Amino acid sequence: MGDMPIWEQIGSNLMWNKIPHYYQLFDNDRTQLGAIYVDTSCLKWEGQPFQGKAPIVEKLSSLPFQKIQHSITAQDHQPTPHSCIISTAVGQLKADEDPHLGFHQMFLLKNINNAWVCTNDMFRLALHNFS
Amino acid sequence: MSLPSGHTMGHTDQVAQRRARCSDIYQRRLSSRSEKVNPGMHSSSHQQQDREAAMHGAHVDSSVRYTPYAISPYNRKGSFRKQDQTHVNMEREQKPPERRMEGNMPDGTLGSWFKITVPFGIKYNEKWLLNLIRNECSVPFIPVEFHYENMHASFFVENASIAYALKNISGKIWDEDNEKISIFVSPAGIPHFVQKELKSEKVEQIKLAMKQQCDVSQEALDIQRLPFYPDMMTRNTKMASNPGKCMAASLHVHEENIPTVMSAEGMDKWKGIEPGEKGADRSPVCTTFSDNSSNINSILELFPKLLSLDGQQSPRPTLCGTEAHKMLPTCKGSFFGSEMLKNLVLQFLQQYYLIYDSGDRQGLLSAYHDEACFSLSIPFNPEDSAPSSLCKYFKDSRNIKMLKNPYLKGALLKHTKRDIVDSLNALPKTQHDLSSFLVDMWCQTEWMLCFSVNGVFKEVEGQSQGSVLAFTRTFITTPGSSSSLCIVNDKLFVRDISHQGTQSALFTLVPTAFSSVPAFSQEQQKMLPS
Repeated sequence: MGDMPIWEQIGSNLMWNKIPHYYQLFDNDRTQLGAIYVDTSCLKWEGQPFQGKAPIVEKLSSLPFQKIQHSITAQDHQPTPHSCIISTAVGQLKADEDPHLGFHQMFLLKNINNAWVCTNDMFRLALHNFS
Repeated sequence: MSLPSGHTMGHTDQVAQRRARCSDIYQRRLSSRSEKVNPGMHSSSHQQQDREAAMHGAHVDSSVRYTPYAISPYNRKGSFRKQDQTHVNMEREQKPPERRMEGNMPDGTLGSWFKITVPFGIKYNEKWLLNLIRNECSVPFIPVEFHYENMHASFFVENASIAYALKNISGKIWDEDNEKISIFVSPAGIPHFVQKELKSEKVEQIKLAMKQQCDVSQEALDIQRLPFYPDMMTRNTKMASNPGKCMAASLHVHEENIPTVMSAEGMDKWKGIEPGEKGADRSPVCTTFSDNSSNINSILELFPKLLSLDGQQSPRPTLCGTEAHKMLPTCKGSFFGSEMLKNLVLQFLQQYYLIYDSGDRQGLLSAYHDEACFSLSIPFNPEDSAPSSLCKYFKDSRNIKMLKNPYLKGALLKHTKRDIVDSLNALPKTQHDLSSFLVDMWCQTEWMLCFSVNGVFKEVEGQSQGSVLAFTRTFITTPGSSSSLCIVNDKLFVRDISHQGTQSALFTLVPTAFSSVPAFSQEQQKMLPS
């Protein structure tokens, strides 16, 4: 039977705790999101890049809606080079009274000083170009 | 002798033509048999090259092959550096030359060479055939090692987009007897005569390009000097002297956190590289399309309206409605960090999906690292009562939310390239719409390039034939040999578009990586910011 590999335990833990916690923070008070990022973090928000904890938090805080609600429908993680975990979350969100939109978000998580932080974050809405 | 089809001529002329062709065919068959033509044979290919070179008026040095895409001998300033030891680890076993003819990737990478075959092409004169193809083909190309093989004519091209374009004209050209000419395309190992020159060089090119992204000491990154196909490169000596800048300070990583999945050998390559941190030290590079140089490579020529890079606003269409969607205001298209890396990624994706959609995904084996990981997940909607076209992905899906059994989770993550390709082959056959691709490059270090692709594809067989699904695929790659990328992590997410309810009529307003014109609906226009 054997134990689950270490990365799987860690990844699961992040899945069940860290990621949902991220969205809770996002939905309740996104100015507090700085906790998950570090000064070297990079965010790609719908194709726009942001670097550093402060610019990232500023971008997220300044998104033009009052209410936001995320609901996760799928999650997954994999171990990556250099002891990181790549964690993806897919779901739906609703901003104020706008219609639901699908989204896809990817977090590259790293353990720094015994805490898991997000070094790279990529967010995309689930929209598609049909040709 | 060669006349375009449709030209009318008298009966005796036609007979004379046919006789001439027959004797030509006889000649070609005779020569092809005696020389045992294949790309591995130097004598015939050498002759071909000399003839071609003579035609093009190029200088042919008998000791140096005509290599259109390699650095010319005059510009090689001791550029064959000793190969980095770590790359030796990543080299696959060299397959014997005869295996290369079967379309395998000999050197363990997703090679950029494709073999173009005209069945029964022995009937045709080389120049006539190539001219015919050129006239019909929308993109310029240089055929390499044209030869006759049994009854067929073949040549190589070094570009997936060219291969794609050639595939598209199959059946659209006719010979003088008004018979359709077919064109078959398959991935090929690098033709022998270019292999030697290109191998070590391209690895260095990619590493160099990535390193330049990291080096904060370099003030002005001159994109013109980073063509994908190297011509002449002036290397900034500052870069080479400061590799330390690209290695972040080592951090203490708790031993427990080291993934046991990666082999020890694999871990060595990654020491000292901190993903994400280098991204912060430099600002993303904006290229300007006005900096056109003769070094612009064929991909860029094929996609002249490639999306604006970071910092450049996409033009906003005029609004029809007043309702603005709050999440969309800053929507931009694909993001790339530099011209060279953009081309690298786009070419990788073209090649990858050419094989992925070809019906046999075995060719992808060489695209993956030995220790690569792959997983697939689909959305879980408990309210879904109707069976969706995603059912066949269901049993392979690794959706953590659904999985209670921790031991199952491990089983649905595929590890090692063989397991990965086996599971890819078990997935339904697809046709991806490259023009729908939205690509984000979200992390680049000297050793790692990470990007995600959003797009749509169609299922081409089975019960759900014709149904369109959306996907997001995330790749973490490292530079492989021969100018290609080697996949270390592959994460695929597939969703059924029709299930998205409000999204069913949505079109993105943003031009994608492979197309220039955005398609958008009225509904979407309502969501654009004022």
